[in-house]
Amino acid sequence: MSERKKVLIIDDDPDFVEGIKAILDGGGYETEVSYNPKDGWAALKKGGYDLLCLDIMMGRGAEGVMLARKIRKDPVLREMPVLIITSIREQIAFLFPGQAVHPGFVPVDELVEKPVEPELLLQKAGALIAAAEKRRAGAE
Amino acid sequence: MSEEPRRVLLIDDEEVVLDSCLAILEGTDYEVATAASGAEGLEKAGEFSPDLVFVDLKMPGMSGMEVLEELSSRDPTMVAIVFTGFATIESAVEAMKRGAYDFLPKPFTPEEFRAMIRRGLEWRRLLLETAALRREREALRENFAAIVSHELRSPLGAVRQNLFVLIQELEAVISEDQKRRLERMSARLDDLLGMINRWLRGFSVDFAGLQESFQPVSIEEPLAEAVESAEGEAVRKEVEIATMVEPGAVVLGDRGTLAEALLNVIGNAVKYSRPGGRVTVTVGRELQKVVVSVKDTGVGIPEADLPRVFDGFYRGQAAESGPGGAGIGLAVTRRIVEIHGGSIRAESEPGRGSTFVITLPALENPPAASAGPSEEASKGEAG
Repeated sequence: MSERKKVLIIDDDPDFVEGIKAILDGGGYETEVSYNPKDGWAALKKGGYDLLCLDIMMGRGAEGVMLARKIRKDPVLREMPVLIITSIREQIAFLFPGQAVHPGFVPVDELVEKPVEPELLLQKAGALIAAAEKRRAGAE
Repeated sequence: MSEEPRRVLLIDDEEVVLDSCLAILEGTDYEVATAASGAEGLEKAGEFSPDLVFVDLKMPGMSGMEVLEELSSRDPTMVAIVFTGFATIESAVEAMKRGAYDFLPKPFTPEEFRAMIRRGLEWRRLLLETAALRREREALRENFAAIVSHELRSPLGAVRQNLFVLIQELEAVISEDQKRRLERMSARLDDLLGMINRWLRGFSVDFAGLQESFQPVSIEEPLAEAVESAEGEAVRKEVEIATMVEPGAVVLGDRGTLAEALLNVIGNAVKYSRPGGRVTVTVGRELQKVVVSVKDTGVGIPEADLPRVFDGFYRGQAAESGPGGAGIGLAVTRRIVEIHGGSIRAESEPGRGSTFVITLPALENPPAASAGPSEEASKGEAG
């Protein structure tokens, strides 16, 4: 598997997206972007991504969380690593009272804070994809 | 409810009263509904949602008093005025006790009636405005963290993210000086993001939840951390931080937030010190308490302000230098200290300096876990 890895970014802030897309492009990834959860879901169903970079706070609240949960319920998509990119690491529990949104709510997820340093983003992305491939290889 | 209040409900069992009131109001732009009994009045009030209700006190069946009570319990901003047939002061006073805004003795002139309506509706408008402002304030308070998080942090985050990339991409083509300036911009943005995070903490973090993970903490550890963090600013201002720690002071708590609390106090002491001043941090033990006092030789706090320093958004008038803070540090500090079952107080001599004393319950036999949350502040003297 030497072809370029495909990363989908779902984030409703086009300026922020440019910032991380440039890093991922520079890191040799092929990136695609959806600017809302609906388009994002449609793209995911099309498939073929090695990693999803997902914003938590989109639209009218934590729509990213809903999307992440949907992904985890999908038998195919659940195998895809998800890197949560959020600006609300500490406030996350406060914002949705009664709704536990712990950063570790899906076991294979990683979480980075906005803004994210380029090296850190590339390192997390690489590690998540590698871990997913290892899991797949182990399962075969 | 942005429209002008103008819906008036009249409740009276005397048809002649209702008819004459309607006649008086004919040609005005009030919306008027009438009811011939208390029960009907309440029903009408439900569907008509009036701004102003006139209620006759003496009616067969449900009395005017009962109607009043029910109305004001449904909507405290609904304005009620009672018609008093036999104008006794007692019944009028009683009605006002039960929430009526005013009373209108029968018989009344058209002009009296119209004037009363104007006054009643004006009062309703004020009540609605007040209620709206209060709701807005509550919503702002409740959602502050969410609002700040998304509305302020998002654009800053996007800018910062692009700076990361720009610095990398331009590295080969820009001069050292240009690069230095870009990095300076990044640092300023990081400061700003950090400040917003600290604000958010003050408003939103569930400090009480920390108690579940309390552990024995030797106070020297968070203290060392706090002093180290304050040292940079102190060196710049040539302020000396001296610490005198009696060993063995252990509390049950959370090391990180304790360090934050201590840093807030020590950082303030440095901030409000004059260049060349001295901040003295003393840790002592008194009975079952650990007493941390932070004494500076700075500008001090006016006596009138002392009670307010631990409220949110207090800022010393005399901050002599630096960009200052959000005025929330001491409020956060007090919350942290109180979560630890302790207390904090301030003493000051304007012009000569201030002393902040944090008192925490001591953990006598670690790791025995019992922290007395109700202990009083004890007298602590700075060294």
